[in-house]
Amino acid sequence: MTKTNRTDGEQRPDRAPELLIAVRDLSKIYRRAGGAGRLAITALDRVSLTIPAGSIFAMVGESGGGKSTLARCLALLERPDAGEILFAGRSHASLSRRQRAAVRRRIQLIFQDPAAAIHPRFSAVEAVEEPLVIQRWADRPARRHRALELLAEVGLGQELAARSTLELSGGQRQRVAIARALAAGPRLLILDEGLAALDLSIQAQMVNLLLKLRRRYALTYLVISHDLRLVGHLADEVAVMHRGRIVERASPRELLTRPRHPAALALVRSMPSAGGAKRG
Amino acid sequence: MARKSQSPRVRLWPPAVVLAVVYALAIGADFVAPYDYFAQNRSLPFAPPARLHFVDPAGNWHLIPFIHPLVERPGSYGEYVEDRSRIYPLRFFLEVPSGQRGFQRWNRRLFGVDEPARLCLLGTDGYGRDQLSRLLYGARISLFAGLLAGGLAVALGLALGAVAGYYGGWIDELLMRGAELCMTLPWLYLLLAVRAFLPLHITPVEAFLLLIAIIGLIGWARPARLIRGVVLSAKERDFVRAARGFGGGDLYLLRRHVLPQTFAVALTQIALLVPQYTLAEVTLSFLGLGVAEPVPSWGNMLATLQQYHVMVSYWWMFFPAVALIGVILSYHHLATVVQKRLGVVTL
Amino acid sequence: MRYTAKRFLAGILLLFLVSVLTFLLAELAPGDFLSEMRLNPQISAETVEALRTSYGLDQPLPLRYLRWLRSIAKGEFGFSFAHNRPVGALLWVRARNTLLLTTTATALAWLIAIPLGVWIASRQGGWTDRLSLGGISVLQATPELLLGLGCLLLAARSGLFPTGGMVSLGFAELGFAAKLRDLAVHLALPAAALVLGSLPILLRHVRSALVEVLDAPFVRVARGHGIPRRRLLFRYALPAAVNPLISLLGFSIATLVSGSLLIEIIMSWPGLGPLLLEAILARDLHVVIGCILLSGFFLVAGNLLADVLLYLADPRIQTSGTPR
Repeated sequence: MTKTNRTDGEQRPDRAPELLIAVRDLSKIYRRAGGAGRLAITALDRVSLTIPAGSIFAMVGESGGGKSTLARCLALLERPDAGEILFAGRSHASLSRRQRAAVRRRIQLIFQDPAAAIHPRFSAVEAVEEPLVIQRWADRPARRHRALELLAEVGLGQELAARSTLELSGGQRQRVAIARALAAGPRLLILDEGLAALDLSIQAQMVNLLLKLRRRYALTYLVISHDLRLVGHLADEVAVMHRGRIVERASPRELLTRPRHPAALALVRSMPSAGGAKRG
Repeated sequence: MARKSQSPRVRLWPPAVVLAVVYALAIGADFVAPYDYFAQNRSLPFAPPARLHFVDPAGNWHLIPFIHPLVERPGSYGEYVEDRSRIYPLRFFLEVPSGQRGFQRWNRRLFGVDEPARLCLLGTDGYGRDQLSRLLYGARISLFAGLLAGGLAVALGLALGAVAGYYGGWIDELLMRGAELCMTLPWLYLLLAVRAFLPLHITPVEAFLLLIAIIGLIGWARPARLIRGVVLSAKERDFVRAARGFGGGDLYLLRRHVLPQTFAVALTQIALLVPQYTLAEVTLSFLGLGVAEPVPSWGNMLATLQQYHVMVSYWWMFFPAVALIGVILSYHHLATVVQKRLGVVTL
Repeated sequence: MRYTAKRFLAGILLLFLVSVLTFLLAELAPGDFLSEMRLNPQISAETVEALRTSYGLDQPLPLRYLRWLRSIAKGEFGFSFAHNRPVGALLWVRARNTLLLTTTATALAWLIAIPLGVWIASRQGGWTDRLSLGGISVLQATPELLLGLGCLLLAARSGLFPTGGMVSLGFAELGFAAKLRDLAVHLALPAAALVLGSLPILLRHVRSALVEVLDAPFVRVARGHGIPRRRLLFRYALPAAVNPLISLLGFSIATLVSGSLLIEIIMSWPGLGPLLLEAILARDLHVVIGCILLSGFFLVAGNLLADVLLYLADPRIQTSGTPR
């Protein structure tokens, strides 16, 4: 009963932009019971934000700032301790189990390490097929066909389809991950540092691919990165996260030229100049 | 001194073959064993192992070996000499006079000699029962008790450990406390204690099943702990999270992603536990708390050695011990190979 | 330290739980001490019932449990029907004998295992190492049952050692030195069997602990300084390898009461082993529970002791909090 992901790519007529996701006062605390005492780490501290449909929203900040936790909460892979997430107006707490499963499919996470994110024993096409298998979509030949189609769309030819993911390069693996995410029929794609481990030239290719896919499938992106330059190219809006809180929100240009919060300032300062060798 | 020791390449097939042969012999005991396990011969108590000859007293060479029947030395008690005047060659595929035996429908046995001679390749016990036959029939009890108990313990441990690791929370706490309980007390004591509270006089079949049940129900703890550990780390892997993101349900995730990772540990545990449990059955039967006469188990066969005169004079009664050591060594070897091949680290 | 106290309490709770469970189990078990008697046609049913009442076996379960608890407080640990006296006294004597055997055997085993293990580890990779590992494997595969029978056979054949018991007849009349000798001669074989049984694991652990340490940089540096081999092994390497060995020591202590069960039975050493077996065959419930609790206590205490020793020995654990 899955809708295929074809859209006509038209822009909607003038209307207030539809809010795909709204987050209100989200908090999450990790407790670890140790022998010597209990440690409590506040991963998210009353985070609020809104992501309009069709936009590209970016979250930046240093490691450990809570970005991945937020991503996982949004994808309903973890439960927040307080606050709520509204999916097209409906609160996450009010969803039944089936509804939750349906929402999960609509929000797909692309992990940072593609090698860990795909079962090592699966071949590329099997990995892409998995969401279809889980949803019992159509029959086996149709699923295989669809999976191959998706692989082709992300730029991986037939000859790579049967290869196990261990034999593919980092960039190819991420493409497989993206194709797999598409198979689930998402509306929101969260890239959790998805491009961090790739070479610069590959990164550029991936950015182009992502933009193409966005037009094709009317996707919304949430890009999590510590790389401000990348974010500058892609995003419509940027939020800076520091120690579990959102400390600044602006358009990329504003952030890069006039950062206000000290954490944002530090990020902008640590950005190497355009021609320099990369990696933080 | 700084070089890491290279252990010799361990190969899978020697212990596997040995074990396969031993188990096959146990299953096929009805065919391979020359006599029934309860067939007594009161005129030949504690007879030494029969000697196979190829050359007869006249100096003729025989292709198929033969035996001289044993008779008591006149004037002595319990000492035997061979009666050289008679020759009984080995026969194969003998017909069994009294119809079917046990599982098999075919009324022949692999080898033997004509009546009234007895071919006792491993000697006889106090009732004149052939020890080789009893060893084979006893293997059924001892080896399969160990195997089934090991299978039960690992199966239980797999199920409970996976549930505890996957769902966490109070189920995890409860199961792990239970496991601690089972692991706290010394297992032989526990075994004896549980056995103590069950009826003393039970049929051998009941005893067999009971033993398996008790051992399995106590032994689930260690495998469960190990499996729980594997499940805990498997659960956190990204591709499992991703599959959940596609809408994969718990059952799917367990079946497709989590459980396959536990198989290596489960296999190693089986290879380690089965010999232990075989030994447990042997010990219990030795103490009189397991399978009882006349059904042979390697344990109750060894129990006769507790009598002074038996232990000192009749060395062939030790054969079940040799067989036991052989089986245990093979299993240990197997476990080492499995561990190395599957890269498992055990405590 | 609070952690240790918590664990101690948890241990006591565990033992308590075990006692309740065993009582329950006994309740489920068909028949009791007097069932055998009932089968005897010479004893009338009324006599059996009267005996039952006098032993208090007809009381409801919770009441019986409470009576048992009270007797623990008095130090009696219940009543043995077979021996017709409080369990406590029985346990005490037998436990003393068992501990004599096991402490001797454990001490011997460790005294042999450490130098031998160190020596094997130092010859790592050579043929001595491989031979030793092979020997250890075979020894490990040999069940305790057989070690006991083997020792018994040795005793019978050589005539050098008695074939059972703890003391000879007429022990009381011997002088002190002769008494000691008599005891030692009786102790020798059971202890030997126990030592042989525990050596494989000890040797393996000592060897592997030392092998890991010998690979460490600080040892190589010491070698480079020309420190003589023996000093290197025992003063440098061994102390660093101590942690896993401490856990093992705890394990040895934990099994002080329960480890010799089989050997005692086979070699007729009058310890807890034969007592337990007799009690099982006679369905003497309180004795069985007493033995189980005693061995359980030692197990808990041993593990706890290992934790404490580890804590004291390893400064790293002290600062970062005890690992779970």
